[in-house]
Amino acid sequence: MNKFLKNIFYLLPIIFLVSSCEKEISVSLSDAKQQFIVEASINQRFQSLNYVFISKSIDYFNPDLSMGGIKGASVFITEGKIIGADTLYTGTPFQMIDIGTFPGADSLFKGFSGIYFSTTLIGKENTPYQLKITLADGTKISGTTFIPKVVPIDSLSYVVKNEDVNKDGFNDAYPTLYFNDPSEQNNYRLARYNNVDSLMLGWGSADSYRTFDDQMINGTQRVIFYPNQFKQGDTVNFYLNSIGRKEYIFWQSFGTAANNGGPFATPVQLKSNITGAIGSFTGYGCSYKRIIMK
Amino acid sequence: MLCYTALAQNKPAISDRFTISGYIKDSASGESLIGSTIYIKELKTGGVTNEYGYYIISVPPGKITVVYSFIGYKSKEITFNIKQNIKQTILLKDANLETKEVIVTGERSDRNVKSTEMSRIEISGEKIKSLPVIFGEPDVLKAITLLPGIKSGGEGSTGFYVRGGGPDQNLVMMDEAVVYNPSHLLGFMSVFNTDAVKNVEIIKGGMPANYGGRLSSILNVSMRDGNNQKYVFSGGVGIIASRFSAEGPIKKNKSSFIVSARRTYIDALVQPFLPGEYKGNGYYFYDLNAKANYIFSDKDRLYFSFYIGRDIFNFTSPVNKDINFNIAWGNTAATIRWNHVFSDKLFSNTCIIYNRYDLTNKFTFGSGAAQAQFQASSGIQDWTLKSDYQCHFSNKHYFKFGGQYIFHTFKPGIASGTVGAVNFSDEIQNKYAHELNIYAMDEWQISHRLSINAGLRWVLFDNVGPYTQYQFDDNNIKTGASQSWGNNQSIAFYTGFEPRFAANYLVTDHSSIKAAFTQTYQFLNLATTSGASFPSDLWIPSSETIKPQLAYQYALGYYHNFKDNEWESSVETYYKPMYNQIEFKPGTRLFFNQNLDAAVIQGKGLSYGIEFFLKKKFGNTTGWFGYTLSKTTRQFDELNNGEAFYYRYDRTHDLSLVVTQQFNKKWSGTIVFVYGTGNAATLPTGRFAYRIGYDQILNQAKFVFIDLYDQINSYRLPAYHRMDVSFTYMQKKTVKWESSWNFSVYNVYNRANPYFIYFVPDIQSQTIKAYMVYLFPILPSVAWNFRF
Repeated sequence: MNKFLKNIFYLLPIIFLVSSCEKEISVSLSDAKQQFIVEASINQRFQSLNYVFISKSIDYFNPDLSMGGIKGASVFITEGKIIGADTLYTGTPFQMIDIGTFPGADSLFKGFSGIYFSTTLIGKENTPYQLKITLADGTKISGTTFIPKVVPIDSLSYVVKNEDVNKDGFNDAYPTLYFNDPSEQNNYRLARYNNVDSLMLGWGSADSYRTFDDQMINGTQRVIFYPNQFKQGDTVNFYLNSIGRKEYIFWQSFGTAANNGGPFATPVQLKSNITGAIGSFTGYGCSYKRIIMK
Repeated sequence: MLCYTALAQNKPAISDRFTISGYIKDSASGESLIGSTIYIKELKTGGVTNEYGYYIISVPPGKITVVYSFIGYKSKEITFNIKQNIKQTILLKDANLETKEVIVTGERSDRNVKSTEMSRIEISGEKIKSLPVIFGEPDVLKAITLLPGIKSGGEGSTGFYVRGGGPDQNLVMMDEAVVYNPSHLLGFMSVFNTDAVKNVEIIKGGMPANYGGRLSSILNVSMRDGNNQKYVFSGGVGIIASRFSAEGPIKKNKSSFIVSARRTYIDALVQPFLPGEYKGNGYYFYDLNAKANYIFSDKDRLYFSFYIGRDIFNFTSPVNKDINFNIAWGNTAATIRWNHVFSDKLFSNTCIIYNRYDLTNKFTFGSGAAQAQFQASSGIQDWTLKSDYQCHFSNKHYFKFGGQYIFHTFKPGIASGTVGAVNFSDEIQNKYAHELNIYAMDEWQISHRLSINAGLRWVLFDNVGPYTQYQFDDNNIKTGASQSWGNNQSIAFYTGFEPRFAANYLVTDHSSIKAAFTQTYQFLNLATTSGASFPSDLWIPSSETIKPQLAYQYALGYYHNFKDNEWESSVETYYKPMYNQIEFKPGTRLFFNQNLDAAVIQGKGLSYGIEFFLKKKFGNTTGWFGYTLSKTTRQFDELNNGEAFYYRYDRTHDLSLVVTQQFNKKWSGTIVFVYGTGNAATLPTGRFAYRIGYDQILNQAKFVFIDLYDQINSYRLPAYHRMDVSFTYMQKKTVKWESSWNFSVYNVYNRANPYFIYFVPDIQSQTIKAYMVYLFPILPSVAWNFRF
């Protein structure tokens, strides 16, 4: 909401002056201390979305624009059990394997590095997980998460507007998603993936994300309307994920950081739930549905 | 304001004194003249009129000659034979209306040297209008940032920063009503329509005891009363806005009114030039000022002031008519003021004030069954009762006392909406508070050389129910536990004394040394994370968790006037520690946050500096030069590893030069030059890739870069400097008809001043580029002003 306001006020000076001016300048910045970065995900439905990405931060003006992944780490995810007030991670650790070690990975996944997969790991609802990483230099990174109960997408619908013929000669289409928020406190991360009918490799493959909680809608039906333009005939895939509160707080701060910039930019600190690195280990209770807007 | 200052020298000690008192007014309009000087020739002493144009002086029996003068007006000399107390209303004539030649006879006041006042500057509405402006719109807030110790927020900004304080630490008042958001257009213009402004007073330190409530400054904007002699219509046509005022007597000599309105039309002008995607935007603002007064007798006058201003932003998507939003925000204020003269020795001013700031948003998406609607509003509202008394014992003692009560209602937000058939609503509870203060002060001339002003102000703040405080856990989820307070039940109670002291030692008749100490509390805080002002910024009260802000200010200065007071100069130093300053935990969402208090962090601030000021008051060439050397820091345990960091608006060097030249009767010109060290900024030092995925169409990895920050505000934007020039051509000026043209060029040498900088990674060239956005290149403008 506030972000929306900000966007509007961005426009103001532009409207005011038709356009503001800009020029390229040179800026010298002090070097940052290097920090380790981890993005780890586990869900109960899609194996390709169970992965651990490990990297290192670099100086801002370093011209390296690659992912900067770290190879050669040993990465394990262990399923846990909740017994009373305790959580015990006594299961067999699943070893996650560097995707770069798969034959032909370089040409299959151009630019991927530092991503660890498992061919056997699949998560379970209402289950805790532990992540343990040991880097080649001996640095240890760890974290825990929990896959909450899945909140199913109730239904998807769409409207095709025949009267609004857009420039390409297609009719506009608007999808709407419905789900019922359970009575307990829930946090969501909703990903939308347009058209391509295949598995996602990493949550970053999606076309849009929303991170929200049920502060205003607890226990009621929630309707999510997409005013974005789609064309008649488009396919839209929705992944409604139920996530934990700590993970929600991380992804909220991440959303702020990812949309930061301009005159009103403020330094954003990510609220990590990982020890030894910046980032999050997130358990997703994933519900998936697809709609073709014929 | 110190309403009256004794300027006695070698006075005979006579106990059986009489008084002369009354109002000083403009002969043509009946408008009271604030700060007119009264000088008794025989005694070489005198006084000045207060903010209502009222004066009292003590005189011995016998024959005396009194000179009444006001800058830009013909002085008046009256001989009295004093046998009793005298009431004398004085009418002064505008010197510019004389047809023969341009003479600016004026006050040759040495008030700046002889009074105990420090760090206080006044500018008239007329002076503000003569300064070069952007888009032909004169602006009160931009004008005051040309004074030493007062810094502008940056390009085009009306935000001002006084001696290291934030914009929320300035008490901005329009006819005594608080204006919580004094800007339009996201800070590019202020809410004050200069056609309706009589006088602007700013106090940046050495605050007398009758003022308080904010740590850093008091900005007092007095609006014009309206002509009580004849009907006058005036206005102006500028590039982006037009103004119109009507004023006149309701009953001649007794009662007058003024109504001023201003509206922008940039929306209409810009529309044809907008690129397609912005076509649906509509934006405008308007201001309406109205004021009326009634003079019942020499003893009683009643004033009524009203203001409303709104900014309205509309958007309808040009590609989809079903996407609309409408945002409106603005201030409303009304003041009823009663001036009463109890006796020749006691003057009073009593006000009832209502003021409000609010923001409303409305969004609609889609239509029919799939329509989504959302409305939200937030704001703050005050009711104030205030009474001030000025006692006149003798020209040696000038005593003031009074008090003020404010009832605050804080409205953090109400939201409601419908999505299809589903309704939802949410409300962050209102907060309520009582604020009370009582003060007394005495301006005492101890000897010919030494005078002091000592005052004490007692303040009370009571944050009261009805309110329910929900408990939140570390993850910001309600635990289910809560605590409730009933109607008027105290939630957080604060009280304190604010001692105020100022002293003046006359070294010679033309020079003095002054010192002042001020202590102030502030119970209202502006919740903002960006440093820029947004209409959605919230005012929040001191509470159980948010402790009141506190500041001490020590100031020492040397003042010297030259050439029969034609030139004024001063050097002031100040040292100002501030406590319980407010910041929010990084990344806090301010809007609709039920647990906002928990996101507040409090720390210390420190500002110190030295200010030089040189001003030429008379002649064909007038103007001033100001230079400030200062340092301002903040320190919070939770930020920057607990180390002190530069305040965003820390400005090591700040310089301004204003020169006005009257070439002849028709032409005058003003040149303004400003220079300031660049704002401090936090820039990223590192970055990393995150939210990874794979783009199967482009067949490459997909991710976003997230910035890492290290030291807060350790980077400096390039320095800000600019020169503006304006020429005014007075086409005609008579009592009946006045018409003038103002030609301004903003940013004469086309300096690109930084608005902000941003970075763009370029995958192609494998580099990161830095860009600086600047707003205003060289911008000429023209405005036409008229009066009949």
